[in-house]
Amino acid sequence: MKPAEFAYHRPDSVEEALGLLGELEEAKVLGGGQSLLPILNMRLAAPAHLIDITGIRALRRFEEDDSGVRYGAVTTHMMIEDGLVPDPARGLLPHAAAGIGYRAVRNRGTIAGSLAHSDSSAEWPTVLSALDAAVHVRSNRGDRRIPVRELLLGFFTTALAEDELITAVEVPRLREGTRWGMVKMARKPGEFAESLAITLVRPGETEIWLGAARDVPVRLAETETVLAGSIGPIALEQLAEAIGADTGSSGYERQRHAVAVRRALETARGETVRGAEVHV
Amino acid sequence: MSEITVELTVNRRARTATVPARTTLADLLRDSFGLTGTHLGCEQGVCGACTVLLDELPVRACLTLAASCQGSEVVTIEGLDGPDAERIRAAFSREGALQCGFCTPGMVLSCYELARRRQVLTRDEACMAMSGNICRCTGYNGIIRAVRSAIAEGIESES
Repeated sequence: MKPAEFAYHRPDSVEEALGLLGELEEAKVLGGGQSLLPILNMRLAAPAHLIDITGIRALRRFEEDDSGVRYGAVTTHMMIEDGLVPDPARGLLPHAAAGIGYRAVRNRGTIAGSLAHSDSSAEWPTVLSALDAAVHVRSNRGDRRIPVRELLLGFFTTALAEDELITAVEVPRLREGTRWGMVKMARKPGEFAESLAITLVRPGETEIWLGAARDVPVRLAETETVLAGSIGPIALEQLAEAIGADTGSSGYERQRHAVAVRRALETARGETVRGAEVHV
Repeated sequence: MSEITVELTVNRRARTATVPARTTLADLLRDSFGLTGTHLGCEQGVCGACTVLLDELPVRACLTLAASCQGSEVVTIEGLDGPDAERIRAAFSREGALQCGFCTPGMVLSCYELARRRQVLTRDEACMAMSGNICRCTGYNGIIRAVRSAIAEGIESES
């Protein structure tokens, strides 16, 4: 349970980090390391070089304007949970952050690191897909902006090229009149989700995202259509069928997703009090 | 560059060590500095036995590279002192919050951060806040009693 050998680099600036990323073979970027270190300890990964970006002060800044908030890549979950940085989503970001791992993990884990890791049962991929956030990416070849929905390609797979670094995560302001619901089902506190439902409800429109159902967060388009066409509450069985069509899941998993989505709809509509995560 | 030299403060004492880059903070503390109170259980961030304070915040020493701690301030169970630490130690002893003792350093450090916040926690909130530390003896009732008692005494000490 110790990492294999690697060379360690701790650049002071983004430019220096990009230089290293462009020139080194088999290099991995290290943020807070809360997903990467377990993988290194278990030797599921053995990169030749680690480029630790937590010493780059420019990546700790945030900027806020009318359109939303842009977080530096190494903003920790704790900073979002404790409101040390602004929240453009009226409580959704601190609520999601508080459910990630444990306090000791949230003190080091970073928002960009979680996206680069791309595990759909973690909080940020699904929450930031639902909010239509985007990452700002830099390399020696130039800069680009990638919507989170296009960044996440599969389990541990993203659209990032080997020489690219996420420098910031831009989260747009939640539209006026939108209410959110979030339900995370997990085996125990701090665990990865088994179902992670996000609902955004505004007059005439309901948007639903589900994490932990497939390799990437899924927008439940079929389920949204079924809901839009129904008058009054929808039967759980009908909801489960629609979610099955959206995700390909069946049996107990489909039922669990349906319960998570229904509860997230209820909390978004204010029918039940927003609670902590559910343990199944 | 597979060896690194790291300078940091451990329990208020300036320390320097040259170690392989892959060394975790937990191994640096235990093997280079002989501070074996930081226990290693799972080495994958699940059990919480290796919890230490890094720049005043609890972190997993098994999921933190020593190299990343350049210039930081680390406090381990050996260096935890002051009125809050004393109250926590007394509460753990009084409430029977330790059995084999393996998880205790991590439990005490997690409890220390909670006590420093000076916020009353319900039993459920205390359980959630301590859920990142596993006790394989399953002695949780005593631990939660001790945590809540230490928090309450901390608040009382300032009122």
